[in-house]
Amino acid sequence: MGPAFEAATGHELEFIRLSSQDALARIRAEAASPVFDVWFGGTGDPHLVAAREGLTEFYEPSNWGEIIQDLKDQVGGTYIPLYAGAIGFVVNEDALAGKPNPAGWRDLTDPMYKGLIAMPDPNSSGTAYTIIATLVQIFGEDEAFEILAGIHQNIAQYTTSGAAPGQLAGRGEVAIAVQFMHDGVKFAEQGFPLTVYAPAEGTGYEIGGLSLIANGPNREGAIAFIEWALTPEAQMLAASQGESFQIQSNMNTPVSPLSPRLENIDLIDYDFDRFGTPSVRDELVGRWTNEIFPQPR
Amino acid sequence: MNTPVIPARRRVGLTVSGAWLAAVLAIVAPLSLPFGRPGRPFLTIDGDLYALSVGGPHAWLLLVMLVATGAALGASLLRMPTAERGDIVTLFGAVALLSAILWLVLTSTPFGMGAVATLAALVMVLGNGLSESGRVQGDAFIASSILFVSVFVLLFIIFPLFTVLKSAVFIDGRFDLSVLGATLKHPLFFVLDSTFTERSELNLTLRWAAGGAVAGALLGLVRRVPPSTLAGRVLLMGAIGFVVGVMLYGNGALPTSLAVVCIAAPSCTLLGLVFALLGQRSRLAGVRRSLDVLSILPIITPPFILAFSMIFLLGRRGLITYNVFDLSTNWIYGIPGVAIAQILAFTPVAYLLLRGSLGALNPALEEASQTLGARPWVGLRTITWPLVRPGLAAAFLLSMIESLADFGNPIILGGNRRYLATEVYLSLTGRFTPREAAVYGLVLLGLVLLAFFLQRMWVGGGSFITVTGKPTSGALSPLPRWLEVTLTALLVVWTLFVAALYVSIVVGSFAQLWGVNFTFTTRHYQDFMTAGWPVFLYTARIAALSAVPAMLLGFLVAYLVSRQRFFGRRFVEFGSLLSFATPGTVMGVAYIFAFNTGPWLLTASATIIILALVFRNMPVAIRAAVAGLAQIDPSLEEASTMLRARSFVTMRRVLFPLLVNTLVTGLIFAFVSAMTAVSQVIFLVSPGNQLATVLLLGWVEQGQLGRAAAMGSILIVSMLFVIVVVLAIARRIGSRTVRVTA
Repeated sequence: MGPAFEAATGHELEFIRLSSQDALARIRAEAASPVFDVWFGGTGDPHLVAAREGLTEFYEPSNWGEIIQDLKDQVGGTYIPLYAGAIGFVVNEDALAGKPNPAGWRDLTDPMYKGLIAMPDPNSSGTAYTIIATLVQIFGEDEAFEILAGIHQNIAQYTTSGAAPGQLAGRGEVAIAVQFMHDGVKFAEQGFPLTVYAPAEGTGYEIGGLSLIANGPNREGAIAFIEWALTPEAQMLAASQGESFQIQSNMNTPVSPLSPRLENIDLIDYDFDRFGTPSVRDELVGRWTNEIFPQPR
Repeated sequence: MNTPVIPARRRVGLTVSGAWLAAVLAIVAPLSLPFGRPGRPFLTIDGDLYALSVGGPHAWLLLVMLVATGAALGASLLRMPTAERGDIVTLFGAVALLSAILWLVLTSTPFGMGAVATLAALVMVLGNGLSESGRVQGDAFIASSILFVSVFVLLFIIFPLFTVLKSAVFIDGRFDLSVLGATLKHPLFFVLDSTFTERSELNLTLRWAAGGAVAGALLGLVRRVPPSTLAGRVLLMGAIGFVVGVMLYGNGALPTSLAVVCIAAPSCTLLGLVFALLGQRSRLAGVRRSLDVLSILPIITPPFILAFSMIFLLGRRGLITYNVFDLSTNWIYGIPGVAIAQILAFTPVAYLLLRGSLGALNPALEEASQTLGARPWVGLRTITWPLVRPGLAAAFLLSMIESLADFGNPIILGGNRRYLATEVYLSLTGRFTPREAAVYGLVLLGLVLLAFFLQRMWVGGGSFITVTGKPTSGALSPLPRWLEVTLTALLVVWTLFVAALYVSIVVGSFAQLWGVNFTFTTRHYQDFMTAGWPVFLYTARIAALSAVPAMLLGFLVAYLVSRQRFFGRRFVEFGSLLSFATPGTVMGVAYIFAFNTGPWLLTASATIIILALVFRNMPVAIRAAVAGLAQIDPSLEEASTMLRARSFVTMRRVLFPLLVNTLVTGLIFAFVSAMTAVSQVIFLVSPGNQLATVLLLGWVEQGQLGRAAAMGSILIVSMLFVIVVVLAIARRIGSRTVRVTA
C-alpha cells in the first residue's frame, strides 16, 4: 500500500505491523511523546479505549458521507470505521470425523465435541472478549457463562492470538475454531480444508478502526493518509493485498465474493458503548478467569 | 654503559596534567553543538538549545558547568604537586558533570549531540583527576574506563530496572502495594486450592511437605548429624516437599514456570555433561567432531521455528505421532512441549560450559587413580565428578536462567498454562496493564537473583564465568565401555531428532501449506524476498553494529574486573551480572519505561535497539574475555608496565594480539545472539526499525508458516556461513601469533 499512498499523495509511508493489543500498549506507553501518526486497522475495542483515554483524536474525513451509516452509528464519535467482520465458526470437517457441524452456540457445549474446540484466550486477545460480550448480549450474563463453562469442557486449547484457532483447525489439530469469519475465509483461501459459517442464534461483530493519534509527530501526513485510506481504491487495495475479507466501510468499495456478507448473517445489536468500557471488560474477563478458566477439563 | 641520570627535581610537579585536553573538549563541545534536542531525531540543531542560549530557571546550572570546566582546565595547566592538583581537577570535574546531569534531569530535555560529547569529555577529566590524585590505583585510562563502565552500567542496566520497580510500587506518586498484591493473588499468577476440584490441593501439598520433612529427618538420623543440622535438614526437605506439591497441583504462571525449570534445567545439565564427556573422551573421532557442530546449531536457530517443527512432527496431526504411531493428542502443548523445546535449545549452552570445565581438569589425577588400580568408573565417580561440580553448578544455573527467561517456546507450545516470561509480554499487550507487567518482571528477576545467590552460597566464587585453565599434560582416561556405548546411543537419538526438526523446517519452507499440502513451491521464498529481505539486511546491520561495542565493552569490563582492584569493582560486576540475569522481556519493558520520555529519550530509534542488544550480549563477551585473560600470565603486562607503557598501550600491544581468537569468537557469538534475539527487542521495534525475529513472530501469528520457515532457513544458513568463515579467518590469524603459556 505504501507505494500507492506515495503516488497518490506524495507522502512517504513507514509502517509496522502489531496486533491491536500490542498497538494500544505501545501507544499508551509512548503517550507522552508519540511515535506513530496513525493507527490503521485492528479490532475496534482498543480504538475505543484509546479514544476514551484521549490518546487519539476523532477526525471526520471529507468522504464521511460514503461510510456505511450503520457502522458510523455504532461507534459514535470515537474512531473512524474501517471494516466490519463477524464472529463465526471455522470448522475442519475431516477432523470432525463424521460428527455433525455445530449449528449454534449451544451445540458447542455438547460432550461429543470434547477436545475439538479452540478459542482465543480473553486474557490476551480482543477477539475472545468480543465472543464473551456477544454471548452475554444474546443469552444474558448468567446463561452465557453457563454456556462458556460448557464450551470450556470441550476446549482443546485457548490460543494467545485471535486468529490462531483457525490455523489449528486448518491443520487438523482441532476441529472447530471460534473466531472472526474473515480470518477463517483467509485460511480457507490459503488452502486449508475449512468451512466458515455463522452460529444460528446470532453473532456479534467488530468494527475495525482507523484513528488519528493525538499529538503525533506528523499530523498533516496522518490526515492525508486517513483521507486516502477511506477511498474505495485504497480499501480495495488493502483487502486484496492484505488478504482481508472483512466488509470495508466505504459503501462504494466493491465486496469480494468470498467475504461473508453482513446482510446474510444474523447480527445482534452489539452495544459497543457499554461493552467497550474498560470496567465492564475487566469485570467480564475477570469473571471468566476466576469462574471458568480454573475448572478442570 | 651510561645509564641516563634523571635529576629528581625535574620529575616532580613540573608536568602538566593530561586532563587539559579533555577539559578543552568539554568547553568546545557545549559551545559548538546543541546541548539538547527538541524531539526524537538525534541530529537536529535547535538554536534555542545551545548551552549558552537556553532559558528557564535552571540555565545557571549550565553556566556553573562551563565555569567549573574552565577551572579544571586552569588547574590542570598549573605546575603543582600531582596529588593535590589531581584533587582539584577531580573536584571541578565532578561539579561540572553533576551540574550538566542535573540540568538534563530537572528540565527533562532530551540529550543532544553536545550533551553526549560534553559528558564524555567531563568523564575523562574526572578520570584524569582521580588517577592523578592517587585515589584510584591506576592511570588515567584505567580511571576513565572505570567511570565510563560504571556510568553505562548505571544508565543502561540499573536505571531501567529501577524504573520498572518504581512503576510497580509507586502509583500516582505514592507508595502503593495494591497492584503488587492484586497481581500476586491473581489466579493467573498462582492458585493452589482450586474451588472446582473435589480434592483439596492444599492438603495434598501439605502431605508432600510432611513427607519431605520425614525423609529429611530419617536421612539425618541415619547419618547421625547433630540436632541443629537435623532441624535445618527437616525444614529444608519440608520446604522442598512443599514446592514439589505446589508444582504438581498448583496452577498459574509461578508454579508452571517453576515446574518447567525443574524439568529442563537438570536435564540440560545432565545432557550437557554427557555430551561434554563424549566430546572429550570418546574413542570415535567422528563423535567428537560432530559434537562441535551439534553444539552450535540451536544457538543460531531463530526462536519460534524449532517449536513449530515440533508441532509439525509431534502434534495432533504430527508426522511422527499421527502418521507413524496413529496417536492424535495434544500432549505437546503445555509443560511437556515447552520443557522438551527448552532442553533442545539450552543443552548446547550447558555443553559448552561443561566442555570448558572438563577441559580444565588435570588428567594427572585420573592417571594416578588408574595407576593405583581403580577401574575407570571408580575414577569417574571419585575424581572427575567432585572436580566438575562447580562447572555443573554453573551450567545448572545458566540453564535455569535461560529456562525462566525463555519467551519464544512458551508462546508457541505453551498450551493453556501461563509462564512468567510470557505473562510480562501478555499483560502489557493483551491486558494493557504495564504495572502488572512490571510486577511479573520483578518476580522473574527476583527468582533469578535468588538462584544466583543460592549457587554462590553452595559453590562460591565467580558464577557465570567459565572456568578454563592452562593446557595440561597427560592423557585422558577413556570412559568405561558400557557407559560410552549408552551415551553414544543417546547422542545418536538426539542427533536424529534434531536433524528431523531441521529437515522439517526446510521442507516447510518449500511446501505449499506446511502440514496440509506438500506440493513443491518457491512462493514462500519469493514472498520472503519482497517482504523479508530488507528487514533481514537491516537486522544484520544492527546486529553487527551492536556486536562490536558489546565485545569492546565486554573486553574492557573483563580486563578491569580480572586485572584491577578498584573501588566499585563489585558494583560493576553486579551490574554486568544483572544484565546477564535479567530476562529479555523484563529488560525490554524496562527500556520502554525508562527511555520514552525525559532526558534520556531514546525510543523509536535504532539506537535503543542497539543499546538493548549491546547490554544483552555484553556478558557473552565478558565471559569469553575473562576465559581468555585467565590463560595469559599477568607477568607479561607487568613487564610492559615496568617498561613505562601506559595501560592503554599495554592493552593494545600485549593483550589484544594474544586474544584475537577469543575476541573474534566473542564477536561472532554476540552477532549471532543479536540476530536471534526477540524478547529484548519486541517492544522496541518501530516503523523503519523492524527486526527479522519480530517479523517472524508476526508471520507465525498470522499463519504464514511457509514464509516463516523460509526466513528461518535463510537465517540459519547465513549465520552458519558467518560463523564458519569468521572462525576460519580467526584461526588463520591466531596461528601466526606466538601463544605464550606459562
